[in-house]
Amino acid sequence: MIAEVPTMAIDMVLFNENTSVLADEFFAHRLGLVPLVSTSVDQFKYSRDCTCGEYCKECSVEFTLHVKCTEPGTRVVHSSELISSNKDVVPVVDDNGRGVILLKLSKGQEINVHCVAKKGVAKEHAKWSPCAAVGFEYDPHNNLKHLDYWFEKGIKEEWPLSKNAEEETENDPSAPFDYNAEPTTFYFNVETIGSLDPQAVVIKATRVLQEKLGALQMALEEDQHPDTNANMDEADPWV
Amino acid sequence: MDTATDAQNYIALLEVPEEKVAVLPGASADLTSVTFCIREEDHTLGNSLRWAIMQNPQVDFCGYSIPHPSEAKMNIRIQTTDQTNAVDAMDKGIDDLKSVCQLMKARLQQRLGQGDYARTS
Repeated sequence: MIAEVPTMAIDMVLFNENTSVLADEFFAHRLGLVPLVSTSVDQFKYSRDCTCGEYCKECSVEFTLHVKCTEPGTRVVHSSELISSNKDVVPVVDDNGRGVILLKLSKGQEINVHCVAKKGVAKEHAKWSPCAAVGFEYDPHNNLKHLDYWFEKGIKEEWPLSKNAEEETENDPSAPFDYNAEPTTFYFNVETIGSLDPQAVVIKATRVLQEKLGALQMALEEDQHPDTNANMDEADPWV
Repeated sequence: MDTATDAQNYIALLEVPEEKVAVLPGASADLTSVTFCIREEDHTLGNSLRWAIMQNPQVDFCGYSIPHPSEAKMNIRIQTTDQTNAVDAMDKGIDDLKSVCQLMKARLQQRLGQGDYARTS
């Protein structure tokens, strides 16, 4: 879920004008980290698989940002001011509708950039991760005694129960310990950055794993029954 | 320079596409003990596949390792009883894990469709 679910993120930035206090490379990095709505990520190709030379609308989305501060005081530039070339891929905005703060300009300062967002996975760069945090636990009451809590006075006072404890009941402490019991329920906590919703992340992550298994099974089959095409690579082109 | 040498040099420069899966040297003749080398995979597949293969009662041993972090290779060792062989055990493991994924996804989608889950805010 963290490393291999693809999303869209800004990957190339062309600076036409930057008279702000932030250096070009610093601001470009900030732009890369901006979460983009990636619900339509499946419609895009990876740039490396695309037939185009550098980038095209099948493998990328273009953004422009042009703000100049003409009045005294500070002009705050938010991610919602990035103008997208594709209505399906836009910066993620929060309840106030503005998104994250990209930078601040004072009078006379100007920023004018052209950005290219591409599809990618977080194995390459963390900016493509749809998740902020993923955690899991099982047996919140420690009924199975897989944990040996460190304590000074008492476990109950010092170790607060997690929210998932409401889903299960605690075993009777006086009952004999069932040493054959195994964990059956696993609680996953998936927190996203807004580019995809958690339901989509879990389903897409499962699909990624299935695709990996499919690719491996095909390679394994090919290894067992080498077909005629396999010999084509070995044929000498100069004969 | 003669064309034959040119051709030889050219062949040497050609990038040979490496296979997704290979059997490492040292496999037993009856294929009950085999180490597979899988390219472009990591703990994501390695650990879950190892678990799935170990669920098979015909499998005596299954373990995986990533020999070097800079190489995108994952080795998985399978030893089975003589009732089956490592290739079949691997195939079964993949099928089983696929079914686990399929079932989990179907159940999740079913429950999400029902919409009877708690929401915050």
